[in-house]
Amino acid sequence: MQNVITAAPSVEFVEVFQTLRGSVFQSDKENCWYIDFVGKLARFDYRSIMKLRKAIYAIDIEALLLNSEISPDLEIVFICACDHCYVLTLLEIIDFKQLLEGTFVMLELNRIIHDRVYRLSI
Amino acid sequence: MKDITRVQCLLSTEIESLLNQQIKKEAQSASAYLAMASWCDSNGFDFSSDYFFKQSEEERQHQLKIFKYVLDMGGSAISPEVTNIQTEFNSFREVFEEALEAEISVTQSLKNIAANCYKEQDYVTIEFLNWFFKEQREEEYKARRALELFDVIGEAGTGRWEIDKHVNDIKYDSEG
Repeated sequence: MQNVITAAPSVEFVEVFQTLRGSVFQSDKENCWYIDFVGKLARFDYRSIMKLRKAIYAIDIEALLLNSEISPDLEIVFICACDHCYVLTLLEIIDFKQLLEGTFVMLELNRIIHDRVYRLSI
Repeated sequence: MKDITRVQCLLSTEIESLLNQQIKKEAQSASAYLAMASWCDSNGFDFSSDYFFKQSEEERQHQLKIFKYVLDMGGSAISPEVTNIQTEFNSFREVFEEALEAEISVTQSLKNIAANCYKEQDYVTIEFLNWFFKEQREEEYKARRALELFDVIGEAGTGRWEIDKHVNDIKYDSEG
């Protein structure tokens, strides 16, 4: 969370979480997150990141692994009222889930820090 | 780093999801009561049918109350899908047994939400839930009293007719 990078002069990102396969950054100015995954950088506001999380968590990875039918190993993640759409392989789904889980743990930690440190101080 | 999630929504993901489950539970209760009203009506128990119509309406109001609370706190309330409603009952008594069982299950579910709220110190939601706990006192009392009519009056002879006639007399007027 300490790494601050500047993509454009006007937009400042704070890294929330990073794995080997992707990263999530927060923009305090825009009140949103930027997710860098499978080669694309996409912007998500609160509502859409919640929907993304729900969509990714809802994928039954075990069922996909056990599925013996001959079908393309792809899942299309489409989020309503959001500009982005992900077409992910099984491995990418696992990576994406890991990235999002880490992100939400860090956001939760951030909330705890705010609650305990800043919001209680006079 | 700004705490965007907290700014947007007072509820934690867990509590929001529990409240959405409760919305579903209340919707299911409303539908179940409607099915009971239908069964009673078709079997000639007019007063009991009215009683269950009213109960159904109350459950619907409970559902909306939670629905609006979730929205007011910045969460997303999910309109629930209601399935598997029991429409057939073996006896008049069984209808009331099911009704009490449903109320007990609602109380238990609310207790579970409150326990989670205490765990994460969500006193705002606890305060909101207090209204429901008070309501459950009445709901369980009414359901229990209705079932007791079967023992007090007895089903033999015109018993069921008497029970039906007195179901709507049950009132909970304890103070507080």
